[in-house]
Amino acid sequence: MNVVLDEAEAKKLGCIFWLAVGWLGVLVATTSFAPLLPIEDPSAIATGPARSGPSLDNWFGTDALGRDVFARTVYGARVSLVVGFVAIAFGMVVGGTLGIIAGYFKGSIDLIVNFAFFALLSFPGLVLALLITSTFDRSLRTVSLTLAVLAVAPIGRLARATTLLYGEREFVQAARVLGARHFRIITRELLPVVMIPMAALALLGMGVAIVAEGGLAFLQLSVEEISWGVIINDGRGIRDLQENPHVALMPIAAMFITILSLNFAGDRLRDYFDVRETAF
Amino acid sequence: MPDNSHSVKQLSVQNLSVRFPTVRGTVCAVNGVSFELSQGASLGIVGESGSGKSVTARTLMNLLPRSAEVSGGVEFEGADVRRLARERVKHFWGVKMAMIFQDPMTSLNPVKKCGTQISETLRYHLKRDRKTARHEGIDLLNLVGIPEPKKRFDQYPHELSGGLRQRVVIAMALACDPSLLIADEPTTAVDVTVQKHLLDLLDRLRKERGMSLILITHDLGVARRRCDEIAVMYAGRIVERGKPEDLFEDPRHPYTDALLRSMPRLNTPIHSRLEAIGGPPPELINPTEQCSFAPRCTLAQADCLQSVPQLSGVIGMREIACFYPANTKRGRRALAKNRARGKTAAGLQMSARRHTSG
Amino acid sequence: MAGSGDGSLRSEGDMLLTVRHLSVEFPVGRKRLLYALSGVSFDVAEGETLGIVGESGCGKSTLAKSIIRLNQIKSGSIEYQGRNLATLRGDELRRVRPDLQMIFQDPISSLNPRRKIRNVIAEGLAIWGDRQGVWARNHVEELMVSVGIDPKLGDRRAHQFSGGQCQRIGIARALLLDPKVLICDEPVSALDVSVQAQVLNLLEDMKIRYGLTLLFISHDLCVVRNIADRIMVMYLGKVCEIGDAKAIFEHPKHPYTRALLAAIPEPAPTVEVAEGDISGELPSPIDPPQGCRFNTRCPRATEICFIEEPLITQLGDQDHYLACHNPVIS
Repeated sequence: MNVVLDEAEAKKLGCIFWLAVGWLGVLVATTSFAPLLPIEDPSAIATGPARSGPSLDNWFGTDALGRDVFARTVYGARVSLVVGFVAIAFGMVVGGTLGIIAGYFKGSIDLIVNFAFFALLSFPGLVLALLITSTFDRSLRTVSLTLAVLAVAPIGRLARATTLLYGEREFVQAARVLGARHFRIITRELLPVVMIPMAALALLGMGVAIVAEGGLAFLQLSVEEISWGVIINDGRGIRDLQENPHVALMPIAAMFITILSLNFAGDRLRDYFDVRETAF
Repeated sequence: MPDNSHSVKQLSVQNLSVRFPTVRGTVCAVNGVSFELSQGASLGIVGESGSGKSVTARTLMNLLPRSAEVSGGVEFEGADVRRLARERVKHFWGVKMAMIFQDPMTSLNPVKKCGTQISETLRYHLKRDRKTARHEGIDLLNLVGIPEPKKRFDQYPHELSGGLRQRVVIAMALACDPSLLIADEPTTAVDVTVQKHLLDLLDRLRKERGMSLILITHDLGVARRRCDEIAVMYAGRIVERGKPEDLFEDPRHPYTDALLRSMPRLNTPIHSRLEAIGGPPPELINPTEQCSFAPRCTLAQADCLQSVPQLSGVIGMREIACFYPANTKRGRRALAKNRARGKTAAGLQMSARRHTSG
Repeated sequence: MAGSGDGSLRSEGDMLLTVRHLSVEFPVGRKRLLYALSGVSFDVAEGETLGIVGESGCGKSTLAKSIIRLNQIKSGSIEYQGRNLATLRGDELRRVRPDLQMIFQDPISSLNPRRKIRNVIAEGLAIWGDRQGVWARNHVEELMVSVGIDPKLGDRRAHQFSGGQCQRIGIARALLLDPKVLICDEPVSALDVSVQAQVLNLLEDMKIRYGLTLLFISHDLCVVRNIADRIMVMYLGKVCEIGDAKAIFEHPKHPYTRALLAAIPEPAPTVEVAEGDISGELPSPIDPPQGCRFNTRCPRATEICFIEEPLITQLGDQDHYLACHNPVIS
């Protein structure tokens, strides 16, 4: 009865997706192999004249101490990416598991889990971060875990909502009728369909986590190692911004492109996997 | 169609084609459909999903997505409907021509009261003031047989049952006293007892108001008793057109014939094997120049695969698009030939059990 | 109508499935209950096809899901091979499950959109531990052939098939574990007429080939008439009339059965079309009428129908059971 009135969807990821993935790939590769590449030591002082603009020797210029901004941006990416990845991986494992379990079993489990999600969501993230980093240390692990805790609720709620949507579907009932155990239904029937929107959110979330780390650095609450946030923080003095804005701008540009890539990749991926459920 | 010679021609569709360009190719949803409707008559358009019956209706109602490529002419009461569409004329659709859909919630806004939605139509198109609109709205609800119209007027759609909702939609469609009502599967979502009531209502309204009706349905049985004329569509084409009794008692197009045979009936014995239509559903994307039913037709011959048979008159008002019509001498000979060969020209296996138009 | 009691159970013969006084209620908030099924009793003999008809909201789908325990059961018993399915729990229930399989209404939504259909069909073997081995693969392919799906297409996903093909895949999945009872919940109502016939033929073929007992739920009386040996007519969670298909269609006694038969576009010759004009709306199952539940719409209702609920009784010694105070005796 309903003839194809929708324009048939383009089942292509498109070049923007591949550009985004390319950027992320290059970023991961350079940061992983940074020690092997001909890059200055990010902490070495006076690798060039202080506060000089971009040149052939120092691609991104140098900061107030004469440190190479390019090297610092590359090494800083390590921390930012690790923070983003760990936070989201943790959020997906913990939030995703809780969300799927809550959405599948419903009842009192759902009530408790959903309440926990709401509690987490209504707790101001910044205050939580302040609390944790000031109570514990400012190590990479603490900062990652802080952001990870904040990622649990949004991802978990998405997992729960998607599970609720699919949990009553006939294919789940069919698996029950065949005699599948709950574990099998969750892993074989629900996980594959819940993973798609979750993965798309995870990519967006990674961007958010990277920005959040930058924000923490601004408050001097982030890691002691170099991160994008730390570099931006270094270059944010009035004098720096007026005389050599590149110190802050270069890591900001890197962050901007990275987050844009994550968002594009996530968005396209969701569209690509958006399961068509009609026969036409 | 009662008597075409002296009744007024109201709607004339000439060689209408609708195509949708998609990534996978051009979808030919409607391929050269022509029909006429006289004032006060009722036409049933019957077909399965993908037959183009809904797209045809949406073309008349100017409801196609912008990507659609339309060709052909639609003339309604002397006006060129496609030109009106280009000029974005207001107060035509919904006033002269109205449509009701399978799911009443397509037309009803869930957060507005039923009555408000009817009176808004009246106020927008007919410039009624608030009070008159309310009175007329309640009258309309009464007209479509809704009990306690005053109470229902102030209720939200979700407070009504499916059957009542569909009546509200009919009331809305009738608000501006259209001269043509297009009903697209109006009873598919409701139960048989409600279906009967709704169809009776449409029948009564049509006769009382001298309105014409196009009833689109997948159910041949529904169309049979409610229409003056039935057009059977397959893959975007009208393959057979005629009076219901002719169509049912003496189907000529092999598709109509096969469709009637494949339906379970009350008078056949229990566990009698149904004569299913074999073969794949029609190809709508970049179709080849052949009779689109040929791959599934038990009568198909070599020439069915080479050109598209055109709709042409047989006797009187009857038209079919087939080279080897079923239940004719020609058709029987084609069938015998295919039987002897064991398969049709399109390669469809002739199973021993199936017998079409013997 | 809307009868209670287990008068609808046949006295002789071994029954494969016997449902007694089955009641299912759903909480609908504010401590109110939706009475989906109220004291439904019927039995199914091995190899028989029972057609279950009624309008939407009559509880026929709830009944299907209750028998295979996808719903919570309030009270009543479901006897199957000497066991009461209604009280089985956990692993015990899981182990009976392969015996009773189900075909769903929406063919596309009943297949996981992200899984290859080969794996969808083989799911039963994967669950019950016969995952590997040539036998399993051959068995899956053989089944695909017998339902008319080319095994070469096994790597495709549900959306690449038409509705009719998806329903075939669903049938193959259900048949893989060699079930005894196949419950079909409106299996053809989402399909086109021409495809409907293919699927109905397939169900009949499979029934003979695998010795199935069918529970066939449909709102389409013509379809049920074609496939069922016995018919059960339901209204608002109760049984109205049950019996041999021929008796129900040719000599319908219950006013509701007659109304249903009269309302179909090409009505049965045994009833008058006027009987299809049962007035009013279906009452809410949250607050069903007292007495006979059909009394608000019944053209034959008398005083007693509003006071006392009719019990199901056998008509003479025929396979025809009825719950009505004022049946149509022609």
